[in-house]
Amino acid sequence: MADTESTRSWLLGCDMTPADRRKIWRFNALAFVWMAAFVAGSFVARRGEQPLLGWALAALTALLGIAVVAFYVRFLRSADELLRKIQLEALALAFGVGIIFMVTYRLCERLGAPSLDIADPMIVMVITWVVGQLIGARRYR
Amino acid sequence: MNNRLRVLRAERKWSQAELAERLGVSRQTVNAIETGKYDPSLPLAFGLARVFELRIEEIFDPTLEKTPA
Repeated sequence: MADTESTRSWLLGCDMTPADRRKIWRFNALAFVWMAAFVAGSFVARRGEQPLLGWALAALTALLGIAVVAFYVRFLRSADELLRKIQLEALALAFGVGIIFMVTYRLCERLGAPSLDIADPMIVMVITWVVGQLIGARRYR
Repeated sequence: MNNRLRVLRAERKWSQAELAERLGVSRQTVNAIETGKYDPSLPLAFGLARVFELRIEEIFDPTLEKTPA
């Protein structure tokens, strides 16, 4: 039964079963590789000397992104049910804040605010997702 | 949903971690159920009934006083 002994994750501030903890680490590792491919692709695209390599890295980034999402969905389906609830509430919060941010800033742009980079709403959503997880871990402590 | 989880667990001298291990969930999940912050799924409620060798309605009862945190 050692596999189900719960341990506290310093990452999310909540207790997790060792199986969930291992999956979180695998998810983080996969997401890191995905981001590394994105950074490499951005670097090659900015230099503009090897367009073929740039397109290959863009395709690799997309494939790794799909792998990350597929892994996360599988993780959610198998996760401890309270952890799943915390994750889903955090995702709902991130989605809502992201939509509100995009809609509101779209209006601000029309009123003269500087244009946003496409990555900016994504950063807002990721930060909100992390904050949502911390809030959930605290709420159900 | 209020429940008798803490009392039942204390009767058997099990820690939250021990009960969590028996159920295959995290200690936080057991704690959240005990304090009434989280209602378990039907499979987990049946798991609790199996572990305590009781019927679900002997563990969960909306008329019970909430267990203090």
